[in-house]
Formats: sequence, structure tokens, C-alpha cells
Amino acid sequence: MSNFRTSQNKANPNKLNIILSTLIFILIMNVTIQIWLLYASLNNALDNNKEILIPAFIASLILFLIGFSWLYFLPSGNRDNK
Amino acid sequence: MSKEDNLNKSWKKDFPILKQQATNVSRRDFAKFLTLVSGGLMVGSGLVAAKAYLLPKEAVAGEHFVCKKDEVPSGGTRAFVIEGSKIPYILIHLESGEFKAYEQKCTHLSCSVFYKPGTGIIHCPCHEGSFDAKTGDVIAGPPPRALPKLDVFFKDNDIYVKASEEEILS
Repeated sequence: MSNFRTSQNKANPNKLNIILSTLIFILIMNVTIQIWLLYASLNNALDNNKEILIPAFIASLILFLIGFSWLYFLPSGNRDNK
Repeated sequence: MSKEDNLNKSWKKDFPILKQQATNVSRRDFAKFLTLVSGGLMVGSGLVAAKAYLLPKEAVAGEHFVCKKDEVPSGGTRAFVIEGSKIPYILIHLESGEFKAYEQKCTHLSCSVFYKPGTGIIHCPCHEGSFDAKTGDVIAGPPPRALPKLDVFFKDNDIYVKASEEEILS
């Protein structure tokens, strides 16, 4: 079955490179923010400041969901075109 | 064609992927791995929050005898442990005459800290962290938080400690 992505891949195979690089760049950015959130919540938990923990967890969850749904756009490559 | 050449050729036909290529990680796999790490960090944040709400750190209960006043000279310290707990504490007799009690574990990586007589500084030798001996606040170095403290009070010549009221209120 042909869809938007396969016709795009046929028209311009180099776009896969850009898509994959952008995807990885955004995932790395998400993971960086999550590391910062985890570090901040650990320090605050040890200092008995509880009010930041739930918002930090929710932010981390949202970032994970963004990254997970982002994988939908992960190109499957040009194997079908060969 | 010699027998050896033939052997080499057949071998290569059977295993067409070079060893080096076989260990390469594709960008696609890398993206999936990053998502897995992201999920791990999310679970970690959740565990930190769950631990803080479900199993909160208990404050020191009651009053505990440490030692007599004249056992600690000015500028001297005394290490002690509260019964039923393994957390090491340190009692400091400051040059100003005050007594202070702090947890002896550095808030950076739990090395044991010691008081530098005459300077008013509690020092951690592992990564050169410094704390103010009067308040427990961080003065220098990598520690992210102040030292947890206990309130010191006296009954005649005896020194007692109890949970810090500041920390209970916060």
C-alpha cells in the first residue's frame, strides 16, 4: 500500500536522513530535560521539599509520551523501493 | 585457484556481513534506545515522588543524651549515634561557646565531614566541600544541600539532642 511517506521517500530519499536526525535531536533534548528534572526532584526530596515532586513527575511523563509518540514518525527506510 | 583461495571465498559467501558492520548500531535503534532511557527516567521520577509521599523520612523521636559538657573542649567535637538508628552525628563545641549537632554525612556523596577547629567551617575532605558550622549551610564545594541538624539543649551539665524544630516545621 502506498501512503504519503512512501511517495515522499520515492520523490526524495535524502529526506529520511533529515527526519531521522531531527527525531534523534529532539529525543536527546527530551532526555536531557528529564535528567535535569530527576536530579532536581531527588535533591528536593532529600531536602524535604515535596511540592515539586509531582509536577516534575508529570513533566517527565509528558516528555516520555512525546518521545514515544514521536517514534511513529521513525522512517522504516527505503527497503521497499528496491 | 589454490585450495586456500577457494576456502576464503566460500567462507565470505556464507558470512556476508563484516564483523565491524555487525556491531554497528543503526540510528533507528538508537532512537528507540533513547525512548527507552526516557521511559526509565520517567519511572525514576515517579519512584522519587512515591517514596517521598508513601515512605517519608522519619524525624528523630524524643530526647537523647550525648555526653557531659566538660567532655568536649572548646573547638572539639564528639561523634555519636542515636539509639535505634545508624546515622552518624557529630556534636561540635564552637569557639563561641555554642554547641551544635549535625549529621556527619556530607550531602554530596555521604563522606564523613569533620570540624576544622578555629575556622567555623565543617569540611568534607572527599571533594573539598565546606559547611558553615553555625548553621550547617553550604559555603563552598559540590554539596547541594545544608547538613541536616539536631537541636542541642542542656539539663544541668548534660548535653541532649532532639529533632530540629526548623526541619519539622518545613
